[in-house]
Amino acid sequence: MKYLTALIFVWTLIPALAQTTYTYQTFDDTRIVNGHSVETNQEGVLKFIISHRFGTLNLGSYEQFGLDQASMRIGLDYGITKNLTLGLGRSTFEKTRDGYFKYKLLAQSQGDKNIPFTLTVFGSAVMKTLKRTDGIELNFQQKLSYSTQLLIARKFGSRFSLQIMPTYLHRNLVADNEENDVLSLGVAGQYQLLKNWSISAEYYATPPSYLPDGYYQSIAVGVQIDTKGHVFQLHFGNSRGMTEKFFVAETTNTWQDGGIHFGFNITRDFKLKGRKER
Amino acid sequence: MRNSTILFAGTTFILSLLFAFDNKERINLDTSLAQTLFKLGEQKPSHYVENVSPEMISRGEEIIKFGKTQGPNGHTTSYVSKYYKCTSCHNLQREDPDLSVVDQKARLDYAIANKIPYLQGSTFWGMVNRETWYNDDYVLKYGDLVREAEKSLEASIELCATVCSQGRSLEDWEMESILAYLWSLEIKLSDLNLSDTELAQLEGKGSNKEKIELLKSKYLQKSPATFVDPPKDKQVGYNFEGDAELGKAIYDLGCQHCHRPNGESEVILDNTDLSLNWLKRHITDNSQKSIYEIIRKGTYSEYGHQEYMPHYTLEKMSDQQLEHLRTYIETPYMATAN
Repeated sequence: MKYLTALIFVWTLIPALAQTTYTYQTFDDTRIVNGHSVETNQEGVLKFIISHRFGTLNLGSYEQFGLDQASMRIGLDYGITKNLTLGLGRSTFEKTRDGYFKYKLLAQSQGDKNIPFTLTVFGSAVMKTLKRTDGIELNFQQKLSYSTQLLIARKFGSRFSLQIMPTYLHRNLVADNEENDVLSLGVAGQYQLLKNWSISAEYYATPPSYLPDGYYQSIAVGVQIDTKGHVFQLHFGNSRGMTEKFFVAETTNTWQDGGIHFGFNITRDFKLKGRKER
Repeated sequence: MRNSTILFAGTTFILSLLFAFDNKERINLDTSLAQTLFKLGEQKPSHYVENVSPEMISRGEEIIKFGKTQGPNGHTTSYVSKYYKCTSCHNLQREDPDLSVVDQKARLDYAIANKIPYLQGSTFWGMVNRETWYNDDYVLKYGDLVREAEKSLEASIELCATVCSQGRSLEDWEMESILAYLWSLEIKLSDLNLSDTELAQLEGKGSNKEKIELLKSKYLQKSPATFVDPPKDKQVGYNFEGDAELGKAIYDLGCQHCHRPNGESEVILDNTDLSLNWLKRHITDNSQKSIYEIIRKGTYSEYGHQEYMPHYTLEKMSDQQLEHLRTYIETPYMATAN
C-alpha cells in the first residue's frame, strides 16, 4: 500500500515536471478547403464562418464564369474547451442544416510527451430539407446523413503540414445506384509561404465503386490569408457542397472539363469568455 | 555596609549610563517597509488592508493569476476580463536590482538572470509601496480617465480591470482580496540594499523625518512613464548599436510573453524565419506591423476586436533596447538556430 501511495504521488508529479512542447498552427484554420482540419477552437471562442461556392468556371462569360450562381453556408462554431468544438451551419445548397462535434484526442508534441501527430475525431449530421420535385414527403430520418472522420495530421518543420482523413459516410436515403455507406480517404496539405499566406490542397480518394456515373472524386486547391481576427480562404475545387456528404460522395463536376467552382471561406473569431490557460 | 552601598550605587549608575547610550532600536531587515514607515509616523494609505486573512490573499492571488476565483459565498466568479489576466502585463516579482533608479539595462539583465518576463506594466511586487500610479505621460495623454487612478491604487486597479483589460468592475471583496495579495508582495527593508551607515542612521537618534527620507531615497515611490515616438527615419532607427543576444532576450521575455501559442495575442511570434522575416520586412512601415510603431504606440481596442497591445514606455524599454530587438530580428540564421 505504501508503494502504491508513493507510485500515485510520483505519477501526479509527472505532469508538473513534464517539459513538453506542443506543435501549434498545424493548419491556419479549422477548415482546409471544404473539409475540417485537426484544429479546434480555443476555449470560449465563437467562430463565425461564411462560405460561398460559385458556379463552375466553364459556364462562360454569360454566367460570369460561375459568379452569378452562388451557394452559401453560414455557420457558428464554439470552443467548449480547447479540445472540444461544437458547430452548427446552414447551407443554401440543397437547403441543408448541419451540426458537428470535433474533439482533439492527441496533440503533436515533443519532449517528455512525444506524440508524432495530432489526432482529432470529427462527427457530423446533415439534414437536407430541399423539397422533392416528385411531391414525395420525406420523413425526418430519411433527410439525415452522418459522417465520421479521423483527422490525423503532422506538421513537418515550420511550413508544411499534412493531414489524412479516413472517412465514413452514412446516408439514410440514397438513389438506387448509390450506396448508403461510403468509405473514403482524404488527404490534405498546407504550405506556409509567408507568415500570413499559405497554400493548401485537399483530395478525397473515394473509391469509384462508391461513385455512380456522373460522380467524381473531390479535389480542391486554395490560398489562405490570415489577418488580425480573420482568415480568408480562396479556392478552386470541383465540389459545390460544403458538408462531408456532398464533397465526399456527391461531387458532380470534374476538373478535366472545367467543372471548377471558385469559392471562399471567411472566418472571424469572437472571444465570448476567458479561458483557464493562456 | 557603606562600601557595599557605594558599590551598588556605582554599578547601577554605570549600567544606567550604558543602557542610556545603547537604547537605539535594532533594525530587523525582515520588517515590512510600510510598517517601518508607519512606525516613523507615515500615514497609512487608503489601500492599506486591516485584518488580512490567508483566504483573502489566496483569492487575490487567483484573481491576479487566473482572472477569477471562488468567492466567500463558495461560487466561482466570472472572469474579470475575457482577454487578459493581470499577469499578461505585470510581473509578480522584483524586477530591478536597485529600486531607487530607472535603469532599463539593469532591469533587462535582471530579467535574463532570473528568467522573468520583460513587460510593459510595472511589477506588482512593491506596488503597495508606491504613492502614485499611472504617472507622468499617462496623465498627460489620458487626462481625466487616469486622474483618480494616479492618486489611488484602488482606482488604478479598477481602471485596469474595466478599461485596460476591457473587463468588468470588481466587487468590493475582490478589490480587498487583490489588495491583500498585493500587500503580501510588499517591499521589506532587506530589499532596499541598505548600507551599514544607512542602517546605523536608521538605528540612530536622528529624527523620524530624516529616517523616512532615507528610506524613501532607497526606492521609487512612483513608476515614471515617458511616452516616446518612433524614430523619425525608421530605416536609420534610433542612434544606438544593437546587440542581437540582448535583442533575443527581449523577444523571448517580452514579445513572446503574449505572442506565444494560445497567448493573449492571435499573432504568434516564434523564433522561425517565418516570423522574423515578417517582422524584418515591416520594420520601416508606418503601421502597427513595424516594431517601432507597435512598441512605442501599441494598438487600440476596437469594436469587435477589443484585445490590444499596450505600448512600452521609455522606462520599460529604452531606445537602445529597441535597437537590440531590431538587430536580433535582422540577424540572419540566428533565428533558425534557436
